[in-house]
Amino acid sequence: MASLPTDGARAARVRSGAAARVERAGREPFEFRLSQLPIYFLLLVGALISFTPFFYMASTSLMTLGETINRRLLPAHPQWINYQRAWTEADFALYFRNSVVISAVVILGVLVTCTLAGYAFAKIRFPGREIIFMVLLATLMIPSTVTFIPNFLLIRGDVIPWGSWINKLPALTVPFLSTAFIIFLFRQFFQGIPDELWDAARIDGAGHLRFLTAVVVPMSRPVMMTAALLTFVRTWNEFLWPLLVTTTPTWRPLGVGLYTFITEAGPQTHYLMAGAVITILPVMVVYFFTQRQFTEGIATSGLKG
Amino acid sequence: MTIRRRPRRRPPRRVGREWLTGYLFILPAVVVIAIFGLFPIAYAVYMSLYSWRVRQGAYLGLENYARTLGHAGGAIAFFGGLLLVLVAHWVWTDAFAAGRSEGRRYVQAAGATLLLASGVSVALGWQLMARSGDRAFLQGLVRTVYYGFGSVPIQIALALVLASLLFQRIRGREVFRMLYFLPYVAPAVAGAAVFRAIFSPRPEFLANTVLSWFHIAPQRWLFETRPITEVLFGGLLQHLGVAHVTGFWAGPSLALVTIILFGIWTFTGYNAVIFLAGLGNIPQDLYEAAAIDGANRVQSFRHITVPLLSPVTFYLTVLGFIGTFQAFTHIYVMRQPAVRDAVDTASIVIFDTFYKRNNWSLAAAQSVVLFAIILILTLYQSRFFGRSVFRG
Repeated sequence: MASLPTDGARAARVRSGAAARVERAGREPFEFRLSQLPIYFLLLVGALISFTPFFYMASTSLMTLGETINRRLLPAHPQWINYQRAWTEADFALYFRNSVVISAVVILGVLVTCTLAGYAFAKIRFPGREIIFMVLLATLMIPSTVTFIPNFLLIRGDVIPWGSWINKLPALTVPFLSTAFIIFLFRQFFQGIPDELWDAARIDGAGHLRFLTAVVVPMSRPVMMTAALLTFVRTWNEFLWPLLVTTTPTWRPLGVGLYTFITEAGPQTHYLMAGAVITILPVMVVYFFTQRQFTEGIATSGLKG
Repeated sequence: MTIRRRPRRRPPRRVGREWLTGYLFILPAVVVIAIFGLFPIAYAVYMSLYSWRVRQGAYLGLENYARTLGHAGGAIAFFGGLLLVLVAHWVWTDAFAAGRSEGRRYVQAAGATLLLASGVSVALGWQLMARSGDRAFLQGLVRTVYYGFGSVPIQIALALVLASLLFQRIRGREVFRMLYFLPYVAPAVAGAAVFRAIFSPRPEFLANTVLSWFHIAPQRWLFETRPITEVLFGGLLQHLGVAHVTGFWAGPSLALVTIILFGIWTFTGYNAVIFLAGLGNIPQDLYEAAAIDGANRVQSFRHITVPLLSPVTFYLTVLGFIGTFQAFTHIYVMRQPAVRDAVDTASIVIFDTFYKRNNWSLAAAQSVVLFAIILILTLYQSRFFGRSVFRG
């Protein structure tokens, strides 16, 4: 989304205050008061609305075709075969593999390019450093609605003669191999590393690359984890771009696969919902296990438009 | 002593190496972002000046823009008016900063006049543009505005309520927060697929089942092109002798309203998390002081929480509107061919101009216009948000 990271940074500062307060409140002994009943009621209504579509999706994905039409709340006998059908007959196995490969490549690329750049912007002095950084940040304001047309020409090899990447892995990964937001995130973190460490390393004869790989990266596990998570969700949920550059199933990711299935499946809601579960599940699993980092990371970045 | 001095007395060769290392480190990232992030803006402008249907054609100059916006004077009035809001705000706040009491009133009056003038300019400019511009695109902008005004205020109000409830001393805060955030994390394609099923026009599906509990006839939801006012008050209006409501005030189609519901469902949790952060920043002693003065919970919410959160609210509002102008995936997935263009917001229209009509240069021109609007919104954000937020 088009939020300047400076806003994100402010939000981050605000949030750490909130987190501290929440924790403080959490430590106080809990007592249930009757006057809080309306609060719980409203919170539950909200949670119900949030969660109902997910419940509906999971429940419908296990129904028979008849049950989806007769509007049952739950299937009489869970039809696991729906998943098997979606997985094998509707090509979801292939889409799933594609999404995993695409995400892995993008995460790896982002971690490498953005660690290097974030470190240089934080710790190495060179002319033009601040200006280049500001220009990179400005790209965060540019919506994909503006970039997708020229980028499509680029990918077809019309502008730079590198041949057409349509339906090939680079089309889905190369444009995403670096993003200003993650560079910003790393720069913030690396700036907090004391210069004395670098002085000591330099006296020992280490260069920047040695210092980065041997000292800085091992210290930066949490921020790297956050970066990997955000990149994963962003890549997994990407839709417009893969829709444009995959005309055949070869490298089609799950989101686009699900969309083609929607247009073809017709009234077969149960298979469709099984496909939706397959698309959502990996993100949900990652989210459940890394909830705190995740919520805070996303809230800082203003991910997704 | 010698050890301390050594790094300071760096020979020039070493400085050169330091520079080179810096440039090499940023090179991969800069190359990727320059090619796929920066270059496209310039190239989109370049494309918009040509006839470009799959292959590059003749140079057209500003013809694609003329086709999109219709009336040059109208376009200037429209965008000038949007920018004039910034000037008006600057005059207004500058008057506050000046502090001279006699002069202040005049300057403020000037600011208010400017604001009024900008409103008139935007409205008149729009009317001129609407007469001869690209109907699909301009209608798309209108629908985007519907979408924004329909979803952003409701999202924010609900999020504020949820956040302040969550901020109480309650059990299971983490679980609630996780559940509210879930729709935001889920892939939009999958979420939209589920909404398509829930809001199916058939009476046995979920949304219509819920309506039937309240003895309301099943609706056609994503298939309904009639405007929302007619769906809600159709009977009443017919009673008054109005058969069909048309024009801007008829409101969005029920199909678009259903998509708005999806937007609310997705973003309320995100806004609530940001509000929760803002709530953490309000000094607790304010509430204690208010409680000593005998304020009840609703009163302290009204007189402490709401005003102190107003910068965050403004930030989320502008961010929400920017997001509205970029919204694509869920609208694209939820639109039904049967409703034709009833739910096509600006970004959908651009995509169709490119993908279906194959008019790449017109699509590029439209995307540049959309970018200009988003840029102005971003300016609003940095202008208003940059100075006033987190003051408290």
